[in-house]
Amino acid sequence: MNTENLKISTVENLITTPPKSKAKSDEIIRDLLPQKFGRQGMIWVAVLTAICCVGAFAYYRQLKHGLVVTNMRDYVSWGIYISNFVFFVAISLVGSLITAIFRLSNVKWSTPLTRIAEIIAVSAIVFASLIIIVDMGRPERLLNLFLHGRIQSPILWDVIVIGTYFFISVLLLYFPLLPDFKILIRFKEKTGKKLNRLYRFQGSFWKGTKEQFKISDKSINILCITIIPVAFCIHTVTSWLFATTYRPGWDSTNFGAYFISGAFLVGAGGVVVAMYMFRRAYRLEKYITDMHFEKMGRMVVLLAFLYLYFNINEYLIPAFKMKKMEAHHLTELFAGEYAPLFWFTIFIGMILPVIILLFKKGRKPKPAFIAGVMVVVGAWFKRYLIVTPTLLNPLLPMQNVPENFKHYFPSWEEWAIAMGSLSGALLLITLFARIYPIIPIHETIEEQNKTDEKISLVE
Amino acid sequence: MKRKINLKNILLVFISLVVLNQTGYAQDEKEEPQQIVRLHYYNVNNNLQYLVLESLLKTGRKIEPVKKKAYRIYLDSVARSNFIAGVLTNEEGKVKAVIPPELKSIWDEKSEHTFIVTSEVAGEEETPTEFNIIKSKIAIDTSNVDGVRNVTATVMKQENNEWVPAGDVELKIGIRRMDNTILSAGEEPTYTTDSDGVATVEFNKINMPGDSHGNLIFTASVSDNDELGNLSVDKTLSWGVPLKDDNSTFGQRTLWSTRFKTPYWLLILAYSISIGVWSTLIYLVFQLVKIKRLSIQRPG
Repeated sequence: MNTENLKISTVENLITTPPKSKAKSDEIIRDLLPQKFGRQGMIWVAVLTAICCVGAFAYYRQLKHGLVVTNMRDYVSWGIYISNFVFFVAISLVGSLITAIFRLSNVKWSTPLTRIAEIIAVSAIVFASLIIIVDMGRPERLLNLFLHGRIQSPILWDVIVIGTYFFISVLLLYFPLLPDFKILIRFKEKTGKKLNRLYRFQGSFWKGTKEQFKISDKSINILCITIIPVAFCIHTVTSWLFATTYRPGWDSTNFGAYFISGAFLVGAGGVVVAMYMFRRAYRLEKYITDMHFEKMGRMVVLLAFLYLYFNINEYLIPAFKMKKMEAHHLTELFAGEYAPLFWFTIFIGMILPVIILLFKKGRKPKPAFIAGVMVVVGAWFKRYLIVTPTLLNPLLPMQNVPENFKHYFPSWEEWAIAMGSLSGALLLITLFARIYPIIPIHETIEEQNKTDEKISLVE
Repeated sequence: MKRKINLKNILLVFISLVVLNQTGYAQDEKEEPQQIVRLHYYNVNNNLQYLVLESLLKTGRKIEPVKKKAYRIYLDSVARSNFIAGVLTNEEGKVKAVIPPELKSIWDEKSEHTFIVTSEVAGEEETPTEFNIIKSKIAIDTSNVDGVRNVTATVMKQENNEWVPAGDVELKIGIRRMDNTILSAGEEPTYTTDSDGVATVEFNKINMPGDSHGNLIFTASVSDNDELGNLSVDKTLSWGVPLKDDNSTFGQRTLWSTRFKTPYWLLILAYSISIGVWSTLIYLVFQLVKIKRLSIQRPG
C-alpha cells in the first residue's frame, strides 16, 4: 500500500510544476489557511458565548417552569421563536443560491463565497431545528412527532424536509472540503497538532487522484441539482405552515413564492455581511474583492425588487378589497400598533438597501455591508410581522379572555433564547472559520492557475 | 408658459391644503382634553341588571380610552347606603358593575332612577356625572298559526309605579348567533314598538340550522335607549333544523383523518419524493466510501 506512488494530480502537481505557479499557490495557501483568533476575535467569541449562556439559562427556566415564562398565550401561540425559526430557514436558503445555482450556471466569480454561503446555511438550519424544539412545551416528546406524526400535516413535511436539507448542506460543505484537507494536513506546523488530528480524521483518505476528483466533482454536481428543489421545498413547506391555516394575512396562494423570494434576499444580504466581516478579520482583500461586492450588490437589488413585488401582491390586493376579516389585520399593519415595525421592514429591509446598492459607490464594500445589515435586520422583523399580528386577529372575536391574551410582547426569556440562538449561529460560523479555510484553497489555486495559463497563452 | 402657471397653481393649492390641514391638527392639539364618562344600563331577561362604565378622553378629534381609572357608582344619591360599586377601568377604558341585591328596596321605591358616577383625581373629587333610566321590562312570545310563525316582543316601562306600554322603542328581534350578534327574524334590521309596546315579526327563515334538537335562541333586544337603557330577553324554540354530525367521511382516507387513514395519493407522493431524494443522498454517501477506498488501492 505505497501511497507515495499514487497518481497525484492536484495541489502538489500545481505547486510543483511551474515555479511561478508554485509561488502563487504558496501565497494563496498562506493567506487562506485558518488563522488563530486575534484580540478582537477573542472578544467576539466571548460576547457570543456570553449571550448563548444567557439564552441557555433562559431555556433552563423555561424547562423548569414551562412555557408560562414566555408571553405566548392562547391566541399568540407562535411568537418570537417561530419568527426566529422562519428567519433561520430563510437565511439557510443562501446555500442553494450561491453554491448550487451559481455553480450550475458556471458562475466563476462566486468561488470565494461558496463556503461562506454553505456554512451560513448549515449553521442556520441547525439553529432552525433547535428553535423548533425550544418552542415545544415538552421537548422530551420530540420523538412522538416521528412515531405518531401524520403525513397529512405540513409540520411533519417541515421536519422531513429540514432534516433532508441539513444532510445535503453538510455533504455540500464536506465534498468541496476534501481537497483542502490534503493541504491542511500538509501544513501541520501552521494549523497545529490538535486540528491536524481532526483534519486527518475527516480527510486523510483524500489523495487527490483523478478518480477521486472525478467522483467528487460528480457528487458535487448531483448535490447541486438535488439541493435546489429541496431548498425550494423547505421554504415552501415552511410557508405552508401558515398558508394552510385559514387566518387573515396567511390565507394566500402566493405564500410559497413570497417566502422563497424573501429567503433569497436575506440569504444574499447575509452573505454580503459575512463577506465584509471575513474580509476585514482575515485580510482577504485579494480574494473577496470589490468585484464580489459589486456583483453581490446587484444580486441583492434584483432580489429586493423581487421581494418587493411579492410584498405588493401580498398586501395591496387584500387592502384593495378590504374584506372584513382582513381589514383589522391590515389596518394594524399599515396604521396601527404594528405600523412602525411594518414600515421599518419595508423601508429599511428593502427600499433603502436598493437605493444604496443601485449606485456604483453604494456597491463598494462598506456601503454594501451596511445595506446587507439592513436587509438582515429588516428580514428578522419581517418574520415577526408575518407571525404575530395575524395570531392577534382571529376570525372569531376574542371574548371573556384575560387582557394579556389580547397583546403580545416577548418576555425576557423569549428574547434571551432568540438572541442566544442568533449568537449560537454566529458562533458556529466563527468557529468554522477558525478550523477550516473559509475560502476554498484548492479551488482558488486551480482558478489562479487557469488564469495564469490563459495569460501565458495570450503572451 | 401656460403649463408652468398651471403647475404653479396646483402647487399653491397643494401647499395651502397641507398648511390648512396642519393648522387644523395644531388647533386640535391645543384643545383641552375632555373627559367623557358613559354609563350603560343592562337588563338581561328581566332579572340580571348590571352597568357598564366607559371612560374616554377626547383630545381634538382623537378619542382614547382611559385605562386603570377608579370610579364609584351610586344609586340616586351619593350616600354609603346607595353605593353600588367601586370600579377600575380596564385596557379598553371599560368596566362592569352588578347592581347588588342590598339595593332592592331603594330600587323598588321609584319608577325612575339616577346613577351617579364619581371619581377622584389627585385626591380631589371630580364633578359627579349622572345618568337617568326608567325601569322597564321586555318580553318575547312566539306563535305558529297555520304555518305562519310570528315573534312578538313587548316592551313595558314604569310610570308612577305602574307598568305601561313603551311605544316607539326601536329594537332588534331575531336569532342569537354564537358570537352574540343577532340575525334579524324578518326582513328589517330593526323594528319599532307600537302604542301597545308591541312589535311583531313574521319569522320567514326556513331551514335555519339549530342545535342537535333544532333549537334556536330567539331574542328581542333594545340597545342604548335614552330612557330604558339596554334590555334583552331570550326564548329557546325548536324552529330550526336539527344539526346532525356529518359522518360521511368517517373512516375514509382524508387529509383530516388519523395517520392510519392517509389518502393513498399523498402517501405515494410523499414517499416517492422522500425515497427519491434519500436514495440520491445514500448514493452520495457510498461515493464518499468509494473515494475512501480508492485511497487504499494501488494505482493502475
